[in-house]
Amino acid sequence: MRLTRHPILEFDRGREIEFEFEFDGRRLLGFEGESIAAALHANDIRVFRESVRRKRPRGFFCAIGRCSSCLMTVDGIPNIMTCVTPLREGMRVETQRGKGTIPLADLSSAGSPPPEPRRDSDDGATIPLAIVGMGPAGLSAAAYAGRMGVETVVIDENLVPGGQLIKQTHMFFGSREHYAQIRGVDIGDRLIANLESLPVKLMLGTTVLGLYPDRTLSLLAGTRHMQLKADAVILATGASENMLAFENCDLPGVYGAGAVQTLMNVHGVVPGKRVLMVGAGNIGLIVAYQLLQAGVDVAAVIDAAPEIGGYHVHAAKIRRAGVPILISHTILRVTGPDRVESAEICRVDDHWQPVPGSERKLPVDAVCLAVGLTPNCELAFQMGCRQTYMSELGGPVAVHGPDLETSIPGVFIAGDASGVEEASTAMIEGRLAGLAAAEWLGAESDTDELARLRDEAADSLKTLRAGPFGAKAREGKEKMLSSMNEDKAGTQ
Amino acid sequence: MTRDAMKTNADCVIIGGGVVGAAVAYYLAKGGMTNCVLLESEYLSSGATGRCGGGIRQQWSTEPNAQLAMDSVRIFKTLEEELDADIEFLQGGYLVLAYTDEDVEQFHKNFKLQRRLGLDVEILQPAEIATRVVRQLNTDGVRMATYCPSDASANPFLTTKAYAEAASRLGVEIRLFTPVTRILRDGNRIVGVETERGVINTPRVVNAAGSHSVLLAQTVDVQIPITPYRREILVTEPLERFLDPMIISFSFGIYFRQVKHGSVIGGFAYPDEEPGFNEESSVDFLTMMSRKLSFLMPALKHVKVVRQWAGLYDVTPDAQPIIGETDGIDGLFQASGFSGHGFMIAPRVSSLLAQLILGQKPDLDIGRLNVRRFSEGAIDLDHSVV
Ligand SMILES: Cc1cc2nc3c(=O)[nH]c(=O)nc-3n(C[C@H](O)[C@H](O)[C@H](O)COP(=O)(O)OP(=O)(O)OC[C@H]3O[C@@H](n4cnc5c(N)ncnc54)[C@H](O)[C@@H]3O)c2cc1C
Ligand SMILES: Cc1cc2nc3c(=O)[nH]c(=O)nc-3n(C[C@H](O)[C@H](O)[C@H](O)COP(=O)(O)OP(=O)(O)OC[C@H]3O[C@@H](n4cnc5c(N)ncnc54)[C@H](O)[C@@H]3O)c2cc1C
Ligand code: FES
Repeated sequence: MRLTRHPILEFDRGREIEFEFEFDGRRLLGFEGESIAAALHANDIRVFRESVRRKRPRGFFCAIGRCSSCLMTVDGIPNIMTCVTPLREGMRVETQRGKGTIPLADLSSAGSPPPEPRRDSDDGATIPLAIVGMGPAGLSAAAYAGRMGVETVVIDENLVPGGQLIKQTHMFFGSREHYAQIRGVDIGDRLIANLESLPVKLMLGTTVLGLYPDRTLSLLAGTRHMQLKADAVILATGASENMLAFENCDLPGVYGAGAVQTLMNVHGVVPGKRVLMVGAGNIGLIVAYQLLQAGVDVAAVIDAAPEIGGYHVHAAKIRRAGVPILISHTILRVTGPDRVESAEICRVDDHWQPVPGSERKLPVDAVCLAVGLTPNCELAFQMGCRQTYMSELGGPVAVHGPDLETSIPGVFIAGDASGVEEASTAMIEGRLAGLAAAEWLGAESDTDELARLRDEAADSLKTLRAGPFGAKAREGKEKMLSSMNEDKAGTQ
Repeated sequence: MTRDAMKTNADCVIIGGGVVGAAVAYYLAKGGMTNCVLLESEYLSSGATGRCGGGIRQQWSTEPNAQLAMDSVRIFKTLEEELDADIEFLQGGYLVLAYTDEDVEQFHKNFKLQRRLGLDVEILQPAEIATRVVRQLNTDGVRMATYCPSDASANPFLTTKAYAEAASRLGVEIRLFTPVTRILRDGNRIVGVETERGVINTPRVVNAAGSHSVLLAQTVDVQIPITPYRREILVTEPLERFLDPMIISFSFGIYFRQVKHGSVIGGFAYPDEEPGFNEESSVDFLTMMSRKLSFLMPALKHVKVVRQWAGLYDVTPDAQPIIGETDGIDGLFQASGFSGHGFMIAPRVSSLLAQLILGQKPDLDIGRLNVRRFSEGAIDLDHSVV
């Protein structure tokens, strides 16, 4: 179902167009430029493919091109990620069964043979600083590096800048200095405005596929592959949502919280009529509220922990709307022939084990998982940055110091990618990384000014992490620092 | 695979847990020498074996190489039964494409030699390729091809694991994450190996450490002429089966096949690659390989690459392996220098070497593969190396 009225958002949809679904030529309506997945969803189509081995129905899960759950055959080409592929007029979209068949191609389209490969060939352009990711961290890094006069390219796979912020319709929490009381959707615009008249170039719709040890980035824009060499790199790639294992968890209708936000707040399509929210941290609570705003019924918010993880203001808003928040509860299974029709939940005891006899079946058509995030560090690891596992930061992270530099000089990591926190800390980390990169590159700028800005940012970060909600990140970062220092002592 | 204390005495220590080390261990134990230890510095197949294309080709330009490969195929055919494991062995054939005059001349010579040895190879004209072997191949510039339907492929990880597990069942001790730091000799004989976890006394050592075997040989003052070269390779997303044979060309510079799981795997060699232990991936390879693949098979333009990596070829001056006991040091056996085709001949070469170690007369004389050939001068280069 499409949203036509929303209390906060207005949907600027493209032209209404026709596309073809399945071979029988069924014609459906969608809007040009929205994702194929959103268009199908709006047409109440949930099954996109069949799993390869067990032939189970699969829909989409993450909506941001991370999980491969949404692969379909589009215009005869298999394995297309429909959640990030824009809809075009006359497209032929088919459910993919099996692994996908090699498309038929015109043999004369091969062109001329490639030249003799050479190792010593010219690699193309080099720029001083490349930043991957245009979320709050990447955009702040660009603003501060740019302010120090560093020529910078910022790259993001999305068509609009802002990262997670473009989906966030709520008033931000935190202090005024850090954009509290402003909606996430508007913060992105402000961050972009900051870049005006700075030597910063934005490359949207471009995915960084790889980061090589010689500091070459391999880029994909649509079907065009490019490469770019940078002296310094800042990775501000954010985090990906975690999955939860339970019976039938791959059934269409089980979504990540981010996917629900994307579907609802970016495309204006609701995920279902009645949703079970799993996870009572801030994300679970906020997305539950956003669902209510969009007119969707929320059956319950459940969490296996014995207390609510998110802020109590958010919890109170949801309770006031009549949604029960059930702590010490978990999800056992979902059922339905090819999409979720109900979910079974139960109580858990002190040892997180299901309490027999406490099972309850809820009639819902969607389940939303808000069970944490894992930093996106693949590029850092691919390049060879040292990694460590830090549960406080969300899993495996690239080891970094207070200036956000990884074990490879001139390669920095900031925001959720360096450890899952929030937008306000992501922005400050971005600033620090931008300044550190400028310093590393020997930017010809006022060094006193640089030092002042850096101290200021370091202080803000300390303040932001001072409270009880900042404790986890604070501890994680401290643990990482001490292990780093031990390593250094060990090698001396 | 064992947790208790490492053996301190063995009849033979095998260094290297690639396909060769694992196969030698198995054939030794099968021949009765079960008190052996296999030492691997990381995990099984962590070296060239786990990075290779898994192709098994019998179409070689010298008789000994063709013979070894044909014998290996015979072993591969029943290996799953013998080792009681799936190794994804498939006889999908090899299609070898000729682009130049030299190719055409060499291919005709090879064809004659291979037919004489009884290989089911045939010559195909470009137009026959689509009807007989593979549709969707762009034959622009192709002068002719040879096709051998009994050429094959297998999964190198599964093959190595199968050999190692069979060896282990027969009593061989397998120690992973146990690097050998030094081979120990006393005058002209081997007395043991030193590892990061202690010493093992043994009168016999098999040096099957791939490119690293040079360094190990140096610990007992033996020089073996092996030069490591990086070779890159990539793999695509899986697709329904559309391609049975491995497709290769020496002059165009490419090899690729579709593995059982459905992915296309392939690579090529840079003519100007610098020697060394560099195993980094490069974006140039990714770009160039994608161009080569989309030229030969335009439909692959739409197929996504999911991973790329690199491994080392352990190259000898004549592109043939170094197999056998080392002159002047009793009990030091070399098994390396496979020059990029060690997977396909591993079963045969390893069983022959095991016979030698067991003091038996090998079924096929492999004296010509001894390292001493390089000091004697005359070497015979095979032209069929990708
Ligand atoms: C529901 C919800 C509510 C939240 N509410 C708040 C709140 O009230 N206050 C608060 O402070 N925080 C909040 N947060 C957290 C906040 O959104 C994140 O911490 C913040 O967005 C992290 O910023 P970032 O720049 O590190 O990453 P992101 O915003 O995730 O940006 C990363 C960007 O990098 C891009 N990218 C990644 N990999 C590549 C690649 N290989 N090539 C090209 N581009 C790539 C991504 O597409 C993305 O655009 C909330 C989060 C959620 C999910
Ligand atoms: C990209 C690529 C593609 C290839 N394609 C093919 C193909 O299609 N067909 C084919 O037949 N061949 C192919 N090859 C070649 C083939 O991979 C090798 O010839 C074969 O795997 C060699 O096996 P091995 O056991 O001798 O060496 P390796 O697999 O390299 O094994 C040596 C082992 O020794 C270990 N080691 C090293 N030093 C020590 C130490 N000090 N102590 C203990 N252990 C140590 C290493 O960790 C390693 O695991 C390819 C190679 C590459 C790189
Ligand atoms: S990749 Fe499309 S839903 Fe995850």
